[in-house]
This record gives sequence, C-alpha cells and structure tokens, in this order.
Amino acid sequence: MFHNVFLKSLRDQRRALLGWSASLAVLVIVMGAIFPLMRDMADLDKLMASYPEAFKELFNIEAMTTGVGFMNAELFSALLPALFIVLGIGRGARLVAGEEEAGTLETLLVTPLSPVRLLLQQAAVLAVTVIALGAVLFVSMSAASALFDMDIGVAEAATGALSMTLLGIEYGWLALAVGAVTGRRTVAVAVATVMAFAGYVLYVAGEFVDALEPWRPISPFHQALEGGPLGAGLPVSYVWMVIVPVVLLAAALPVFDRRDIATA
Amino acid sequence: MNVIRTRALTKRYGKTLALDGLDLEVPGPAVFGYLGPNGAGKTTTIRLLAGLLRATSGHAEVLGLDIGRDRDRAQRRIGYLPGQFTAYPDLTGDQYLRYLAGLRGGVGGKAVAGLAERFDVDLSRRIGGLSHGNRQKIGLIQAFMHEPELLILDEPTIGLDPLMQREFLALVRETRDAGRTVFLSSHILDEVEAVADTVAILRRGHLVVVRPVGELKAQAVRRMELVFAGEPPLAEAEKADGVREATADGSRLHLVVEGSTAELLRVAAPYGIESVVTHEPDLEEIFMTYYEER
Repeated sequence: MFHNVFLKSLRDQRRALLGWSASLAVLVIVMGAIFPLMRDMADLDKLMASYPEAFKELFNIEAMTTGVGFMNAELFSALLPALFIVLGIGRGARLVAGEEEAGTLETLLVTPLSPVRLLLQQAAVLAVTVIALGAVLFVSMSAASALFDMDIGVAEAATGALSMTLLGIEYGWLALAVGAVTGRRTVAVAVATVMAFAGYVLYVAGEFVDALEPWRPISPFHQALEGGPLGAGLPVSYVWMVIVPVVLLAAALPVFDRRDIATA
Repeated sequence: MNVIRTRALTKRYGKTLALDGLDLEVPGPAVFGYLGPNGAGKTTTIRLLAGLLRATSGHAEVLGLDIGRDRDRAQRRIGYLPGQFTAYPDLTGDQYLRYLAGLRGGVGGKAVAGLAERFDVDLSRRIGGLSHGNRQKIGLIQAFMHEPELLILDEPTIGLDPLMQREFLALVRETRDAGRTVFLSSHILDEVEAVADTVAILRRGHLVVVRPVGELKAQAVRRMELVFAGEPPLAEAEKADGVREATADGSRLHLVVEGSTAELLRVAAPYGIESVVTHEPDLEEIFMTYYEER
C-alpha cells in the first residue's frame, strides 16, 4: 500500500516506466545489432572524410567503427537525450500542475502535508523514475555490447547512462518547478521544452559559429555530451547538471508554499 | 471559544473583489450555514479558511490558529470537502481513503467502514466507475473519517439523492452533538434550514446577515390563508399591522404577513374565522427579502 505521496506517485509511474523501459531496451539492442554491419563496411572511412569537420566533431563520426564511437554518434548525440528529456518534462509537468488541474491536489493539501513536502516528494519520484530508465539504459548497453562485440566497458556504459539521467532530471525538475509556480501543465511543458531546444541549439550552433563558442559550456547538452558521453570519463561539468536543477527546485519551493491553489 | 474568526478578511483576484472585509465569528460546537447565490464568495471564504488561498488582507483564525502562519497545524484538525471534489479515477474508494488516511494519521478503519455502510457506497470499486453521487460520498467520507474538530464543507449535498441527503444531515447533527463544528455552504436552503443553528448570508463578497435560524424565521415573512363564514374583511385586513399583501378569493383571504400575526387575527376575529392555514416560512423567502432590500 502507499501511505505517502512518494509511494503513491511512484506507483503511478509504473505503467509508463514499463513502456519506456521496453522501448528503450529494444532501441539499444537494435542499434547494437546494426553495429557489426557498420564496422565491416569497407568504404566507411572514405565516406566520412567528405563530411564537414564540425559535423564530424559534433556527432563523433570518426569513431564510428568502434562500439563507443558508434553509440555516441547514433544514440547519445540526439535520440537518447530527447527521450530522457521528454520523459522528464512529461512527468515533471504532471506531478504537481497536473494534479492541480485535475482537482486532486487540494484534498491532499488540507492535511498535515505541506506544499513544500509534497513538492520535494514529487521531485524524488521524478528522480527515481528517470534513474530507473537510466538503469535500463545501462543494462541494455551492456547487453548490446556483449551480444554484438562492441567492446563498451562498464564504466563507459555507466557514465553514458548517468549523463542521460542527469539531463532527464534537469529538464524534468525544471518542468516540475514551473508547474509548481504556475499551476499549469501546458506552461510547464512549454517552458521546459523551449529551454531544452535553446540548450540544444546553443550546443549545435556553438560548434559552427565562433561567436557562440564561448557560451557553449552553459548548455546542458554540452555538459552532458562533450567528448562522449561514452568514454568521456566523469566530467566536472556534470556537477552543473546537479546544481542547476536543485537551485530551480529550491526557488520554486517558497513560491508554491505561499501561492493560491487553483480549483479544477 | 470561536472555532472560526475572521477580521476584515479580503480576497481579490486581479481587479475582481471576491470577498470584501469579512468579519465572521463562528462559536462552536454548532452547525453554521453559509448561504449565498453562486459567485457570492462562499467558495472563496471556504478555501481561505481551509488554507488553500492567501488573503489579500485581513486574517482568519481556525481553531484558534492563524491559518496564514499555522496552516499545517490547523489543516491537521480540519475535515474539508471541496466544492468540486475529485479523486483519482484509477484507485478504488478503499485505496483512495487509505492513502488520505496515511497522509492524515489517526483514522480508524472502523470509522471508514461505518461511514461507507451508512452512505451505502462500495469501496472496492474504482472511483472512475462510480456515479457522481457515489463519488461525492467518497468525498464526504474522507472529510469525516478522522473525526476532525471542524468540518468545512463546500456544497456537500450536490449529487446526493434525497435519502442520502437526509443521512448526511443526520450525520451533521450527530457531529454537532458530539461537540464538533460543521461549517457548510449551500445555495439549497432547505438543507441548511433543516440542520443549521446559525445562518450567514453572503452577497457579492459582503456579509449581509448572521442570525440564529430561529430568529430569522421569527422575523420572517409568512404566507397565510384565513377562511371566513361570510364575506372576508379585505379592507380591514389590509390596514392591520404587519400585513404586506392581502387578496380575497371567495370566502378566503390570502395574506402575506411580516412578523407577528396577532394584530391581524384581532382585527379579523369579529368576522367569524372558520379556519387558519399558515405556511412555515422558509429561508428562501428570508433570503430573497435580504437580496431585495440591500
């Protein structure tokens, strides 16, 4: 049984999490299955040589013939970050603003439960959900590596999964914080999505445009993906991906605690 | 001690003044009826008292606690039913009530089972599959189940059939008799009249009147019919104190009288009254009088 908001909300995530996990595992394994074909393609290097330099750097293309390079280019450059961020934002917007719009929030709050504790528990639910998906990513990467001889180490798979998890939690907590401040799910989704796009555009454009280059490190995508994430070790930039969402959440707490709760 | 006390409690939404300087004292234990048409500020008052809204100015005390500063301590001792009660459709009634009981603490399993039996609702069914009335019953159970000192109920009987409304009113009376206080809003006057000790009438964010139900009835306008043996004394009756309206219909005199009917009966008696029919005044009429006059 669930006797607090954390357990109840975690239970609510189980179906979605099952679907996401299955899809993610299939995606990673299928990608792994393609890898031997890529590696054995004779003319790949020649084809690659014709790509623009910045493009090659961005997608880590020169390393396509190694398992790590292949996964970085095919999954970690855009698809996996997008999946983790979509999960984070979707769940984050729902956990407070969604409950408020549905009308179930007000009965919960006229109890000893304070808005601050509710928001913290929901933030924990979101973190656990994204971490669970990150664990699935780690396991399926390791499985794909073993099945298709990709030579991806445990540490590499772990940091890759960690960087995706941190991205998902960062944008998820942003959506959660905006939802807690405004009480509106669409606003939470919109703000977090726009910020994700902005971060990605800065990350990509910084590679091509010299004027943007110095700003690139503030993009969460840069922090998460630069030089990897597989094989980048444990970059110091990950610290930002912890600090920023914690600050966002901390800023939302007093506002949520003092604001009017809307009716359905 | 006052269970609820507000001082100049005001709530503004942008330019709209939803509640304007409410001064309200509710001594307990009692059943307090909070009446007014839609948009009068009933729900705003209730949500301020429940700690879900922040007052623009003024303050409110609930059970001796300032709802602004001591919100969570006050909320622990309140039972609350929102005007539009919504629960999780994917949970059963039992799961939902256990969840809320876990958040509140101090809920006996027997209390929940007893209330469910009383309201005749099946707690093993998913809430999404329940009728509107049955969902409302779940809302009532969660408000009463921890036996709070104060119940704040916003339009509690909406969706209940007449039998369940009666059951609900009985529960409200028992709650008062057990020394607790029920603050309920309504625009259905019968139910408030039947159960409330004191009534407040709200109109456009202003408190129009607070009176014991009995007193309101005493000063009320009542309709009566006098049947005479012969021609009814219309002209004399019209002149009697307290008579507001009089029309004759054969041997019958239809009258609207405010307050005491003694003077009217004294004037009419010599004309040979055969029978008197009086209609118990209801709050509807009192309600309308206040609306029209202020």
